Amino acid sequence: MSLSRRQVLIGAGAGALGLAGPAGAAGSDQLERLLGLERRLAAAYEAALSRDAIERSLGELLLGHEREHIRGLEQALGRAGPRATAPPPKVGVDFTTRRSFARSALELERETVDTYQDVLTTFHDDRLLQPLGSIMACGAQHEVALLGVLGEDLLQRN
Amino acid sequence: MRPTLTRRGALGGAAALALASCGGGDPPPAGKPRAGSGAGLLTSIVALEHAGVAAWAAIGEALRGDARRYARSIREREIAHAERVAGLVRRVGGTPPQARPASEYARLFPRLNTEADALRFARDLEERLVRAYLEGLRLLPDDDQRRATAEIAADEAQDLAVVHALAGGPAAPQPFVTGTL
Repeated sequence: MSLSRRQVLIGAGAGALGLAGPAGAAGSDQLERLLGLERRLAAAYEAALSRDAIERSLGELLLGHEREHIRGLEQALGRAGPRATAPPPKVGVDFTTRRSFARSALELERETVDTYQDVLTTFHDDRLLQPLGSIMACGAQHEVALLGVLGEDLLQRN
Repeated sequence: MRPTLTRRGALGGAAALALASCGGGDPPPAGKPRAGSGAGLLTSIVALEHAGVAAWAAIGEALRGDARRYARSIREREIAHAERVAGLVRRVGGTPPQARPASEYARLFPRLNTEADALRFARDLEERLVRAYLEGLRLLPDDDQRRATAEIAADEAQDLAVVHALAGGPAAPQPFVTGTL
Protein backbone atom coordinates (compact mmCIF):
# COMPACT_ATOMS: atom_id res chain seq x y z
CA MET A 1 0.00 0.00 0.00
CA SER A 2 1.37 3.41 -0.84
CA LEU A 3 0.65 6.73 0.80
CA SER A 4 -0.53 9.65 -1.26
CA ARG A 5 1.30 12.98 -1.02
CA ARG A 6 -1.78 14.34 0.78
CA GLN A 7 -1.66 11.56 3.38
CA VAL A 8 2.04 12.13 3.93
CA LEU A 9 1.52 15.87 4.41
CA ILE A 10 -1.37 15.32 6.83
CA GLY A 11 0.70 12.88 8.81
CA ALA A 12 3.64 15.25 8.86
CA GLY A 13 1.50 18.15 10.06
CA ALA A 14 -0.34 16.36 12.83
CA GLY A 15 2.77 14.36 13.67
CA ALA A 16 4.86 17.48 14.09
CA LEU A 17 2.49 18.67 16.79
CA GLY A 18 2.43 15.29 18.49
CA LEU A 19 6.17 14.70 18.36
CA ALA A 20 6.77 18.06 19.95
CA GLY A 21 5.43 16.58 23.16
CA PRO A 22 2.99 18.11 25.63
CA ALA A 23 3.13 21.86 25.96
CA GLY A 24 3.99 23.46 29.28
CA ALA A 25 1.31 24.89 31.56
CA ALA A 26 1.37 28.40 30.09
CA GLY A 27 1.39 27.02 26.57
CA SER A 28 -1.43 24.64 27.40
CA ASP A 29 -3.82 27.50 28.14
CA GLN A 30 -3.13 28.99 24.73
CA LEU A 31 -3.50 25.63 22.99
CA GLU A 32 -6.79 25.03 24.83
CA ARG A 33 -8.03 28.33 23.47
CA LEU A 34 -7.15 27.30 19.93
CA LEU A 35 -8.66 23.86 20.41
CA GLY A 36 -11.97 25.39 21.50
CA LEU A 37 -12.08 27.49 18.34
CA GLU A 38 -11.22 24.52 16.11
CA ARG A 39 -13.97 22.47 17.73
CA ARG A 40 -16.42 25.29 17.17
CA LEU A 41 -15.51 25.36 13.47
CA ALA A 42 -15.84 21.58 13.17
CA ALA A 43 -19.26 21.70 14.85
CA ALA A 44 -20.37 24.46 12.49
CA TYR A 45 -19.32 22.54 9.37
CA GLU A 46 -20.93 19.34 10.67
CA ALA A 47 -24.20 21.16 11.30
CA ALA A 48 -24.03 22.89 7.92
CA LEU A 49 -23.52 19.57 6.14
CA SER A 50 -26.49 18.02 7.93
CA ARG A 51 -28.67 21.00 6.89
CA ASP A 52 -27.35 21.26 3.32
CA ALA A 53 -26.07 24.74 4.18
CA ILE A 54 -22.76 24.12 2.38
CA GLU A 55 -21.92 22.34 -0.86
CA ARG A 56 -21.09 18.79 0.17
CA SER A 57 -17.58 18.39 -1.24
CA LEU A 58 -16.42 21.74 0.14
CA GLY A 59 -18.04 21.09 3.51
CA GLU A 60 -16.42 17.69 3.82
CA LEU A 61 -13.02 19.09 2.81
CA LEU A 62 -13.13 21.91 5.36
CA LEU A 63 -14.53 19.66 8.09
CA GLY A 64 -11.76 17.14 7.41
CA HIS A 65 -9.18 19.87 7.88
CA GLU A 66 -10.72 20.98 11.18
CA ARG A 67 -10.64 17.41 12.45
CA GLU A 68 -6.94 17.16 11.57
CA HIS A 69 -6.27 20.42 13.41
CA ILE A 70 -8.15 19.14 16.46
CA ARG A 71 -6.22 15.89 16.39
CA GLY A 72 -2.91 17.74 16.18
CA LEU A 73 -3.76 20.14 19.01
CA GLU A 74 -4.96 17.29 21.22
CA GLN A 75 -1.66 15.51 20.62
CA ALA A 76 0.26 18.66 21.48
CA LEU A 77 -1.70 18.96 24.73
CA GLY A 78 -0.83 15.39 25.68
CA ARG A 79 -2.80 13.04 27.85
CA ALA A 80 -3.67 15.72 30.39
CA GLY A 81 -5.82 17.48 27.83
CA PRO A 82 -8.17 18.26 26.37
CA ARG A 83 -10.33 20.37 28.65
CA ALA A 84 -11.43 22.76 25.93
CA THR A 85 -15.09 22.90 25.19
CA ALA A 86 -16.48 24.23 21.97
CA PRO A 87 -18.78 27.21 22.15
CA PRO A 88 -22.34 26.25 21.17
CA PRO A 89 -22.14 25.76 17.41
CA LYS A 90 -25.54 27.19 16.58
CA VAL A 91 -25.08 30.48 18.41
CA GLY A 92 -24.27 33.21 15.92
CA VAL A 93 -24.14 30.87 12.95
CA ASP A 94 -26.78 31.39 10.26
CA PHE A 95 -27.69 28.14 8.52
CA THR A 96 -30.61 29.64 6.56
CA THR A 97 -28.91 29.59 3.15
CA ARG A 98 -25.53 28.56 1.78
CA ARG A 99 -24.58 32.21 1.43
CA SER A 100 -25.58 33.08 4.97
CA PHE A 101 -23.67 30.11 6.33
CA ALA A 102 -20.60 31.04 4.27
CA ARG A 103 -20.74 34.52 5.79
CA SER A 104 -20.97 33.10 9.32
CA ALA A 105 -18.22 30.57 8.72
CA LEU A 106 -16.00 33.31 7.30
CA GLU A 107 -16.36 35.27 10.53
CA LEU A 108 -15.49 32.18 12.59
CA GLU A 109 -12.45 31.45 10.43
CA ARG A 110 -11.24 35.05 10.69
CA GLU A 111 -11.61 35.04 14.46
CA THR A 112 -9.68 31.78 14.63
CA VAL A 113 -6.85 33.01 12.38
CA ASP A 114 -6.60 36.22 14.43
CA THR A 115 -6.33 34.15 17.60
CA TYR A 116 -3.58 31.99 16.10
CA GLN A 117 -1.68 35.18 15.30
CA ASP A 118 -2.04 36.36 18.90
CA VAL A 119 -0.81 33.01 20.18
CA LEU A 120 2.08 32.81 17.72
CA THR A 121 3.27 36.24 18.82
CA THR A 122 3.65 35.29 22.48
CA PHE A 123 4.00 31.49 22.45
CA HIS A 124 7.47 30.36 23.43
CA ASP A 125 7.53 26.64 22.67
CA ASP A 126 9.77 26.72 19.61
CA ARG A 127 8.85 23.16 18.62
CA LEU A 128 5.20 24.06 18.11
CA LEU A 129 5.47 27.44 16.40
CA GLN A 130 5.91 26.16 12.85
CA PRO A 131 3.14 23.50 12.99
CA LEU A 132 0.75 25.99 14.59
CA GLY A 133 1.64 28.41 11.83
CA SER A 134 0.78 25.78 9.24
CA ILE A 135 -2.70 25.40 10.77
CA MET A 136 -3.17 29.17 10.83
CA ALA A 137 -2.20 29.28 7.16
CA CYS A 138 -4.82 26.65 6.38
CA GLY A 139 -7.45 28.75 8.16
CA ALA A 140 -6.44 31.73 6.04
CA GLN A 141 -7.00 29.58 2.95
CA HIS A 142 -10.44 28.57 4.25
CA GLU A 143 -11.30 32.27 4.21
CA VAL A 144 -10.49 32.35 0.48
CA ALA A 145 -12.63 29.25 -0.15
CA LEU A 146 -15.59 30.86 1.64
CA LEU A 147 -15.14 34.17 -0.19
CA GLY A 148 -15.36 32.10 -3.37
CA VAL A 149 -18.74 30.75 -2.22
CA LEU A 150 -19.87 34.32 -1.62
CA GLY A 151 -18.66 35.39 -5.07
CA GLU A 152 -16.57 38.16 -3.56
CA ASP A 153 -13.01 39.32 -4.08
CA LEU A 154 -10.78 36.51 -2.81
CA LEU A 155 -8.21 38.81 -1.21
CA GLN A 156 -10.02 40.80 1.42
CA ARG A 157 -8.00 40.34 4.58
CA ASN A 158 -5.58 43.24 4.19
CA MET B 1 13.82 2.38 -13.48
CA ARG B 2 15.27 5.39 -15.19
CA PRO B 3 14.11 8.59 -13.51
CA THR B 4 12.09 10.94 -15.66
CA LEU B 5 11.69 14.66 -15.26
CA THR B 6 8.18 15.92 -15.92
CA ARG B 7 7.51 19.35 -17.35
CA ARG B 8 5.88 20.28 -14.05
CA GLY B 9 8.90 19.06 -12.14
CA ALA B 10 11.24 20.94 -14.42
CA LEU B 11 9.31 24.18 -13.97
CA GLY B 12 9.12 23.72 -10.23
CA GLY B 13 12.82 23.03 -10.02
CA ALA B 14 13.59 26.01 -12.17
CA ALA B 15 11.44 28.22 -10.00
CA ALA B 16 13.07 27.02 -6.81
CA LEU B 17 16.51 27.51 -8.30
CA ALA B 18 15.61 30.94 -9.62
CA LEU B 19 14.21 32.09 -6.32
CA ALA B 20 17.14 30.73 -4.37
CA SER B 21 19.46 32.60 -6.72
CA CYS B 22 17.50 35.79 -6.28
CA GLY B 23 17.83 35.78 -2.53
CA GLY B 24 21.09 33.97 -2.00
CA GLY B 25 23.47 36.33 -3.69
CA ASP B 26 22.63 39.37 -1.69
CA PRO B 27 25.27 40.76 0.64
CA PRO B 28 24.85 40.55 4.40
CA PRO B 29 23.21 43.52 6.11
CA ALA B 30 25.33 46.62 5.60
CA GLY B 31 24.47 48.00 9.04
CA LYS B 32 25.64 46.48 12.29
CA PRO B 33 22.72 44.73 13.91
CA ARG B 34 23.44 42.86 17.13
CA ALA B 35 24.01 39.12 16.97
CA GLY B 36 20.85 37.05 17.33
CA SER B 37 18.61 39.95 16.37
CA GLY B 38 17.06 38.12 13.43
CA ALA B 39 18.54 40.62 10.97
CA GLY B 40 20.07 37.94 8.74
CA LEU B 41 16.85 36.01 8.27
CA LEU B 42 14.79 39.17 7.82
CA THR B 43 17.26 40.42 5.22
CA SER B 44 16.97 37.20 3.24
CA ILE B 45 13.18 37.48 3.36
CA VAL B 46 13.32 41.03 2.00
CA ALA B 47 15.49 39.78 -0.87
CA LEU B 48 13.02 36.98 -1.55
CA GLU B 49 10.10 39.42 -1.50
CA HIS B 50 11.89 41.66 -4.04
CA ALA B 51 12.23 38.61 -6.27
CA GLY B 52 8.55 37.83 -5.66
CA VAL B 53 7.51 41.31 -6.77
CA ALA B 54 9.44 40.87 -10.02
CA ALA B 55 8.07 37.36 -10.45
CA TRP B 56 4.46 38.47 -10.05
CA ALA B 57 4.99 41.10 -12.74
CA ALA B 58 6.17 38.35 -15.09
CA ILE B 59 3.34 36.04 -14.02
CA GLY B 60 0.76 38.76 -14.63
CA GLU B 61 2.06 39.26 -18.17
CA ALA B 62 1.21 35.63 -18.92
CA LEU B 63 -2.31 35.79 -17.46
CA ARG B 64 -5.58 37.31 -18.64
CA GLY B 65 -8.82 38.59 -17.16
CA ASP B 66 -9.45 37.98 -13.46
CA ALA B 67 -6.22 36.05 -13.13
CA ARG B 68 -4.22 39.07 -14.31
CA ARG B 69 -6.14 41.31 -11.91
CA TYR B 70 -5.27 39.00 -9.02
CA ALA B 71 -1.63 38.94 -10.13
CA ARG B 72 -1.56 42.73 -9.83
CA SER B 73 -3.19 42.62 -6.39
CA ILE B 74 -0.77 39.99 -5.13
CA ARG B 75 2.20 41.94 -6.49
CA GLU B 76 0.99 44.99 -4.53
CA ARG B 77 0.78 42.85 -1.40
CA GLU B 78 4.33 41.59 -1.93
CA ILE B 79 5.57 45.16 -2.24
CA ALA B 80 3.89 45.96 1.09
CA HIS B 81 5.43 42.85 2.69
CA ALA B 82 8.90 43.79 1.46
CA GLU B 83 8.50 47.26 2.96
CA ARG B 84 7.20 45.91 6.26
CA VAL B 85 10.03 43.40 6.66
CA ALA B 86 12.57 46.01 5.56
CA GLY B 87 11.28 48.13 8.43
CA LEU B 88 11.99 45.27 10.83
CA VAL B 89 15.56 45.04 9.51
CA ARG B 90 16.07 48.75 10.16
CA ARG B 91 14.67 48.44 13.69
CA VAL B 92 17.46 46.06 14.64
CA GLY B 93 20.11 48.30 13.11
CA GLY B 94 20.46 46.63 9.73
CA THR B 95 20.20 47.95 6.20
CA PRO B 96 17.69 46.04 4.08
CA PRO B 97 18.69 45.02 0.55
CA GLN B 98 17.39 47.02 -2.38
CA ALA B 99 15.57 45.41 -5.28
CA ARG B 100 17.71 44.55 -8.27
CA PRO B 101 16.83 45.69 -11.80
CA ALA B 102 13.88 43.71 -13.17
CA SER B 103 16.03 42.33 -15.98
CA GLU B 104 18.31 40.60 -13.47
CA TYR B 105 15.41 38.68 -12.01
CA ALA B 106 13.77 38.00 -15.36
CA ARG B 107 16.71 36.05 -16.75
CA LEU B 108 16.48 33.65 -13.80
CA PHE B 109 12.76 32.92 -14.13
CA PRO B 110 11.38 29.96 -16.10
CA ARG B 111 9.84 30.63 -19.49
CA LEU B 112 6.12 31.26 -19.07
CA ASN B 113 4.59 30.28 -22.39
CA THR B 114 1.10 29.53 -21.14
CA GLU B 115 -1.21 30.47 -18.30
CA ALA B 116 -0.63 27.03 -16.82
CA ASP B 117 3.14 27.71 -16.79
CA ALA B 118 2.52 31.01 -15.02
CA LEU B 119 0.27 29.47 -12.39
CA ARG B 120 2.77 26.69 -11.67
CA PHE B 121 5.50 29.26 -11.20
CA ALA B 122 3.16 31.31 -8.99
CA ARG B 123 2.36 28.27 -6.88
CA ASP B 124 6.04 27.43 -6.38
CA LEU B 125 6.82 31.05 -5.53
CA GLU B 126 4.04 31.30 -2.96
CA GLU B 127 4.95 27.95 -1.40
CA ARG B 128 8.49 29.27 -0.99
CA LEU B 129 7.24 32.47 0.62
CA VAL B 130 4.93 30.60 3.00
CA ARG B 131 7.82 28.40 4.05
CA ALA B 132 10.11 31.39 4.65
CA TYR B 133 7.61 33.06 6.96
CA LEU B 134 6.77 29.85 8.85
CA GLU B 135 10.49 29.33 9.45
CA GLY B 136 10.61 32.91 10.66
CA LEU B 137 8.05 32.09 13.34
CA ARG B 138 10.44 29.55 14.79
CA LEU B 139 13.69 31.47 14.37
CA LEU B 140 12.94 35.14 15.02
CA PRO B 141 13.56 36.22 18.62
CA ASP B 142 11.28 39.22 19.03
CA ASP B 143 7.49 39.24 19.59
CA ASP B 144 6.96 42.09 17.12
CA GLN B 145 8.95 40.25 14.48
CA ARG B 146 6.86 37.13 15.03
CA ARG B 147 3.60 39.12 14.90
CA ALA B 148 4.57 40.51 11.49
CA THR B 149 5.73 37.11 10.32
CA ALA B 150 2.49 35.42 11.36
CA GLU B 151 0.34 38.05 9.67
CA ILE B 152 2.33 37.92 6.44
CA ALA B 153 2.35 34.11 6.48
CA ALA B 154 -1.46 34.24 6.49
CA ASP B 155 -1.38 36.66 3.54
CA GLU B 156 0.97 34.38 1.61
CA ALA B 157 -1.22 31.36 2.32
CA GLN B 158 -4.16 33.28 0.91
CA ASP B 159 -2.18 34.26 -2.18
CA LEU B 160 -1.38 30.58 -2.62
CA ALA B 161 -5.07 29.72 -2.19
CA VAL B 162 -5.96 32.17 -4.96
CA VAL B 163 -3.40 30.50 -7.22
CA HIS B 164 -4.94 27.11 -6.44
CA ALA B 165 -8.40 28.45 -7.29
CA LEU B 166 -7.24 30.09 -10.53
CA ALA B 167 -5.71 26.74 -11.54
CA GLY B 168 -9.12 25.12 -11.09
CA GLY B 169 -8.49 23.30 -7.80
CA PRO B 170 -9.75 23.78 -4.26
CA ALA B 171 -8.47 26.96 -2.63
CA ALA B 172 -7.50 25.03 0.51
CA PRO B 173 -6.35 21.56 -0.52
CA GLN B 174 -4.36 20.61 2.60
CA PRO B 175 -5.01 20.79 6.38
CA PHE B 176 -1.42 21.87 7.06
CA VAL B 177 0.07 24.53 4.80
CA THR B 178 3.76 23.98 5.20
CA GLY B 179 5.16 25.64 2.10
CA THR B 180 6.78 22.37 1.12
CA LEU B 181 7.42 22.24 -2.61
